[in-house]
Amino acid sequence: MTTPDELPGGPDRTAGADPAAEAGRAARAAAERAEPEPRRGHGLGLSFRVLLTAGLIVAAVLPVAAFGGIVMAAHLYSDSRVMVTLLVAAIVAAAFFGLLGAAVVVAGLTAPLRRITIAVERVAAGESSPPIHLSGDDELARLAESHNRIAAEAGRRNRELGALLSAIAGYNPAQGTEALASRAGLDACAIYGLIDCRLSLVDPATVPTEETIPGDPRPVRAEVRAGGDALGVLTGHLPATRAWERADQDLLDLFASEVGVALRNAELFGQIESQNARLLELDATKDEFLRSVSHNLQTPLTSIRAYVDQLRAVSDEAASDRRLQIVAEQADRLTRLVRQLLTVTRLEAGVLRPEAEVIAVGPRVRRAWEALNVASVTFEIRDEARGWLAVADPDQLDQVLWALLDNAVKYGGRDGRVEVAIRADAARDRLHVTIADNGPGVSEADRTRLFTRFTRGGTQASGDGTGLGLYVSRQLLRAMGGDLWLEPAGDGRGAAFTLSLPGESPADEG
Amino acid sequence: MLENRPRRILLVDDDTSLLVVLAEQLRDDGYEVATARDGQEALRRLEAGWPDLILLDLMMPRVDGLALARQIKAEADLPIIVLSAIDTADSKARLLDEVAEDYVTKPYHYPELRARIQRVLRRLGDRIPRQSLVLGPNLTLDLHHRSATVAGTEVQLTPTESRLLHALAANLGETVATETLISRGWADTEEAEPSYVWVSMRRLRQKIEVDPDRPVHLLTVRGIGYRLVSSRDDT
Repeated sequence: MTTPDELPGGPDRTAGADPAAEAGRAARAAAERAEPEPRRGHGLGLSFRVLLTAGLIVAAVLPVAAFGGIVMAAHLYSDSRVMVTLLVAAIVAAAFFGLLGAAVVVAGLTAPLRRITIAVERVAAGESSPPIHLSGDDELARLAESHNRIAAEAGRRNRELGALLSAIAGYNPAQGTEALASRAGLDACAIYGLIDCRLSLVDPATVPTEETIPGDPRPVRAEVRAGGDALGVLTGHLPATRAWERADQDLLDLFASEVGVALRNAELFGQIESQNARLLELDATKDEFLRSVSHNLQTPLTSIRAYVDQLRAVSDEAASDRRLQIVAEQADRLTRLVRQLLTVTRLEAGVLRPEAEVIAVGPRVRRAWEALNVASVTFEIRDEARGWLAVADPDQLDQVLWALLDNAVKYGGRDGRVEVAIRADAARDRLHVTIADNGPGVSEADRTRLFTRFTRGGTQASGDGTGLGLYVSRQLLRAMGGDLWLEPAGDGRGAAFTLSLPGESPADEG
Repeated sequence: MLENRPRRILLVDDDTSLLVVLAEQLRDDGYEVATARDGQEALRRLEAGWPDLILLDLMMPRVDGLALARQIKAEADLPIIVLSAIDTADSKARLLDEVAEDYVTKPYHYPELRARIQRVLRRLGDRIPRQSLVLGPNLTLDLHHRSATVAGTEVQLTPTESRLLHALAANLGETVATETLISRGWADTEEAEPSYVWVSMRRLRQKIEVDPDRPVHLLTVRGIGYRLVSSRDDT
């Protein structure tokens, strides 16, 4: 077999590790010789087309030359065996150079294509791409140029989009629409590189569209909308040298629509602010009103009550005078009704925060009964929860007890009788207080609406009372972690209401 | 001691008819009473001498009750009871926790008012810091705001709990008898019994002790009463 050294006509006789690279270098060198002047000045680079042509020529001519050379050499020998050997060698050499040439062509063709592919993929993935420099002025070089331009514009729009988003993110609805509009105008100038720009909060239809005059700054415009409403129009001018493409207009429209949302938010924020201020004002007015109602009603009652007490304290005659007793009772009654009305208002406003104090219920019920001062009604209390203490707000529990006892007196029978039973539910740490009268009880119709506001026992309504007692009592008890309900009708018993409260079992020391 | 001298009360209310009758009621019970019809007059009276207790209306012309109470407290820790027609649920009444020892709504029930006055006067001489009282890494009391900070979490105290802790804190490290605690926590009209104290202490431990079953601050002294200690003393 012949060695490569024996083969004549090789373009470069230097031995190399990589024949393809060697051949490529040779091809480039040949191409340089064929066309020494690159059209586009990127160093010594030649255009892709020139390289390709040179490569093809080298790849086609070299095998033929090698084949011819070997055939001619074969003629020098008469021995047909030698001739055959040489011919076979010629075919092998031609094939070798042909493949070598093809490799050179493929390598030359794919290298720039690979660079362009990588660059396009980077741009497609949203990354920035450094410009690709290809020599020459052929299709591939123009493709690279075009890619470079697209990449640069994509980069610019990406930067604009980033600036746009950070500008939008900085818009605070608390700034108000006017401040936002002027800020958005300034931002548009900065983001898009406009010469001037303003956001007018007027109907876009009233702002005429400017004509584009070649050589003059180019007018740009975008309507600012939120939902279906036109809020204003963004107008400005672009330097005459700058291009303005569809994508730029889209980006400006995007900015305008985001500004529209921000403006709408600012509008709504302003409305909420003023409504809040108004509500706070109303709330303060209501508080002040309640305060003065309370003050103006309770102050005279305080004097009445104090003078009655003093009169009854100084003489025995006055102390037993039924008329003074009635004045005292009615003053107390009025006081409780005023307090009940205040409590209803506070319940509605949700501002009642009961204290959780430890209270002995039995003595509390007895005191509430004594305060009612109704000698004509028999009162009986059965305390089956000795030692137990309730956890409740003392003032609010007093209101509840007064309302329930007052009801029991009002709706009781002719020979009035009020029975109170206190029991403990040890398993659930609760106290139950049942207050029963001996009246006709509650009718089926009344049962369902008993605990709603302004409800009074139908036929028995005597006209006094606010119709708030049971409603207020249930709400107060529930706020204290308890409840109030009507017991089912029983034999010989009138209405029986049970209130429950969190309870503390009898404690020993420590 | 000045135990036998009559206690002096300054009564401030713009309702003159009430001033007359309430002053008389209080004098009948042995108190020395001065009256003022508004905040300015009250301040003039205070220049002449400090009373033992001030009974104050919340809504008054010129200097209102709350402003007056703050002004007084800024100068001296005089006990103040607010007597007002404004109910305790009013936002304004809630502001008083800081400056008033007690709150009585009008129309008052005189025996009840008297019992509250006596309860507050029992506290005379108790000195606890106006600022918060640090009892250990896991307990700080802020009785003027009716709150405690337990292991970093603020808990609210009820008026009674606050009064009980006040009595214990004024005798920090010493045992306070159950009977004393009854008279400090409840008014005489409430006919409180020792079980009130026991249950209240059990509930207080749930609030202010990190482990209520192994209390380190609120300790029982069997058969006698209770002791509040800071955790440094607890060794």
